[in-house]
Amino acid sequence: MDLKTEVLIIGGGATGAGISRDLALRGIPSLLVEKGDFTSGASGRNQGLLHSGARYAVSDLEAAKECIIENRILRRIAPHCIEDTDGLFVSLPEDGTEYRATFLRACAEAGIDTLPLSPREALSMEPKLNPRLIGAVQVPDGAIDPFTLVVENARDAESRGARFLLHTEVTGLIRDGLRITGVRAKDRITGNEFTIAAPWVINATGAWANQILAFAGLTIGMALSKGSMLITNTRLSERVINRCRPPASGDIIVPNDTVSILGTTSLRVEDLEHYEVTPEEVSFLVEELSKVIPAIREERFTRAYAGVRPLVQLAGVSDDREISRGFALIDHGSVDGLTGLITITGGKLMTYRLMAEKTADFICERLGLHVPCITHSQPLPGAGRGHTLKDRLLRLRHQIPASRGELLCDCELVPRETIDAILREGKVRELQDILHRTRLAKGTCQGGFCVYRLLGVLNEMRKETVLGGSNRALRDFLEERWKGIRPVLWGTSLKEEELIESIYKGLFNLAPEATLPPGGGDL
Amino acid sequence: MKRWDLIVIGMGLAGLTAAKAAAEKGAKVLIVGRGMGSVTLFGNTIDLLGEIPPGKDMQGDLTRWIAAHPHHPYAKTGWAGIEASLGAFRSLFPPPYTFDTVGSGNSLVPTGVGTLRPSYLLPATMTAGVGMSPSDTIIVGLKGFKDFQGDTVSLHLQCRGVNLSLPRYGLEGLTAIALARLMDEESFRERLGEAIRSQMAGEKRVGLPAILGVSAPADVLKTLEAITGAKVFEIPMLPPSIPGLRIFHRFREALIAQGVTFLMGNPVTAAKVKEGRCEEITVHNPPIATVFRAENYILATGRFLGGGLWADMERITEPLFHLPVFQPESRGLWFRERFFQPEAHPIHRAGIVTDEDLRPVDSEGRVLLRNVRAAGSILAHHEAIEGHSSEGIDIATGNLAAGRALSS
Repeated sequence: MDLKTEVLIIGGGATGAGISRDLALRGIPSLLVEKGDFTSGASGRNQGLLHSGARYAVSDLEAAKECIIENRILRRIAPHCIEDTDGLFVSLPEDGTEYRATFLRACAEAGIDTLPLSPREALSMEPKLNPRLIGAVQVPDGAIDPFTLVVENARDAESRGARFLLHTEVTGLIRDGLRITGVRAKDRITGNEFTIAAPWVINATGAWANQILAFAGLTIGMALSKGSMLITNTRLSERVINRCRPPASGDIIVPNDTVSILGTTSLRVEDLEHYEVTPEEVSFLVEELSKVIPAIREERFTRAYAGVRPLVQLAGVSDDREISRGFALIDHGSVDGLTGLITITGGKLMTYRLMAEKTADFICERLGLHVPCITHSQPLPGAGRGHTLKDRLLRLRHQIPASRGELLCDCELVPRETIDAILREGKVRELQDILHRTRLAKGTCQGGFCVYRLLGVLNEMRKETVLGGSNRALRDFLEERWKGIRPVLWGTSLKEEELIESIYKGLFNLAPEATLPPGGGDL
Repeated sequence: MKRWDLIVIGMGLAGLTAAKAAAEKGAKVLIVGRGMGSVTLFGNTIDLLGEIPPGKDMQGDLTRWIAAHPHHPYAKTGWAGIEASLGAFRSLFPPPYTFDTVGSGNSLVPTGVGTLRPSYLLPATMTAGVGMSPSDTIIVGLKGFKDFQGDTVSLHLQCRGVNLSLPRYGLEGLTAIALARLMDEESFRERLGEAIRSQMAGEKRVGLPAILGVSAPADVLKTLEAITGAKVFEIPMLPPSIPGLRIFHRFREALIAQGVTFLMGNPVTAAKVKEGRCEEITVHNPPIATVFRAENYILATGRFLGGGLWADMERITEPLFHLPVFQPESRGLWFRERFFQPEAHPIHRAGIVTDEDLRPVDSEGRVLLRNVRAAGSILAHHEAIEGHSSEGIDIATGNLAAGRALSS
């Protein structure tokens, strides 16, 4: 199977999906390849923060201006991906009032609305805040669901002719003299190898940019910075809570549906496939953020995760937080003399649309087309749909009686119908794809009970061959789950883990495949 | 105030066994627990040690294994102590619902994911699963009962599977307990038996989720076997465990008949210690706190799940007597990098270290509390989950702790 396209996009994160949609809206066909599922990289491993830009106002005015503009655009085009929470920048006694004054001036300059609050006002709005706070400033931060945002971009693009190949890895660039003419690709599930011919190849792989460029012997200056986050079992605040001090590690709490996400850290990494959240990072985040919300010390955490920020590197800057969060669009034709290859990297989720716009502008210019970008005004397809927790629960009320109560996931109320619908659509290729598209396994037990049930449903529907065999899938799932849960195992989480180990290792005798005890494992 | 000979804290298999052993020796016993013990979650079979291969003689192999593991709780009881405790356990289950070995050692029991698990004593409702073959067995799942996925079991056991609808019963609230209670009704199990028979194609064995009745499992088995003409067996599934509930009920019934005071539902919140002895414990039943005193105490509160151990971000503690807990040096060393690996996670070996008498000791080996003994999974130096030895450790140390407490 060999394919052809006008524009080939590598990477199914927000940037890649955004470019696909932007091109589709301008009538340019594209094909996107992604080695995992949508948002497998940093797009799916961030805090889900709809930045107001206030966080950057003091340190990087340009980034702050970009953020607030995109913030307003996203509220218009993707309201169903956003929870309009607002945010507070909270000053503790040790933060003083000096930074706060600078912060208010910088926000004004960036065009970010602010509302200074007294300690009493802030506490009445967010009762769990440290009562020692000396003041707070309200800004238009919010929460955003990156997965829905990316899938919605892709869905819209697909309805306009764009194509997507998930679980497909680029294994090489095809070169004809001083031109890139396409890529070699491999389906990671079937193992099929094929080529895709394309006059333009866009490298939108974020932190993986240099891995693609290495196929052509190229490289760009980029720092990889790991940020670790913790998910709480309950929602700690109505609003996004920031520390009102110069940007630092452990200074933000983002509400997300029924939970909160604490972040972040910033540590250099080299290996993109093997990085983990360390016990020290976890202790640091709990210690630091319990200064802002003291209840964090007693809170139960359901999971930890980390993402890698691709930071475009400038010479002479040593602290990753000082490196620009801005993006870079690199035409390897003019920089390296290799035409047909573009890299778009750096940036952040907040500017994905702008990054896509600039990339599509470049492609249009090269193709000699004069079609303007309309992604800032054209809403995503599901924009009218109710999306709040209340809407979701109301929809469930109609679904559950229909299923006569067959809930696969008791924590997050996922009825069997949801799974049936996803399977009918026919796009999922492995267990994790299903988990990405539902709330299954996202609750307190982190899939300890419901994934057993889900695999039973798949076996019943004879989908197990597609998904790699059910006990292998179960082992893989438990191993993947372990990465997130191991860093937060103490207190109540540890109790629950004893339950899960007693089920799977004790009762069910699932063992590592290499060392099956007598009779253990599969027949 | 009433004074007891022995207070047992914890209602898992270790505590229940200890209370029964002491009561049989004529002691005045109080057993107190915050809820039904872990036997109602995971109890199915009585497992001694999974690594003894099926067909091997348990006594000889386990005796040699104990000699090679001098810190393991079994080293305190020896084979003789294990054997005595198994005898005491089996005496609670006269025919027809007995616990027996199949052959002289471990046998392999099919599980809820279609794997086989090595077990030692099997309830009468599980023995027919041992030695099943793909061609002679049919696995029966029940539509809407999500904690037993029959298709997963049949897929991995490579045998035929069917999922039956339960006529006239909706899917709402279809829990293991509800199903097991329905099975206690003769008319219900007869209809289910007929439904199974209509699906059979000459199979000699029928595997079902472990829901064959709460109160009369042997009768359920008899009805189903008479109707289907095949051997019927239960398959262990996600918690809660109906076979475990039967064990719990049987113990409770026997203990109460023997005059044991059975105090369930309230936690022990404090223990008063003076000069190396426990003087009293406080049971909290809001708003009332009641103090109980005894000559001897047995601490059988389990591990993290049972509340016998607690971990904060820094270290592992024993919350009632504040006993020293043997444990890895720091939180980062509690668990290994992968969930599945050949060796158990180091935290599983954490627990209370005792002398030969099961009395807690400090790091120098000095006895800390002369009238308190620890029993069951709270003990250090075992890997009961992966080792498939939870029940063995519980009943052997529970039995030993009671014996030592009364002879002291």
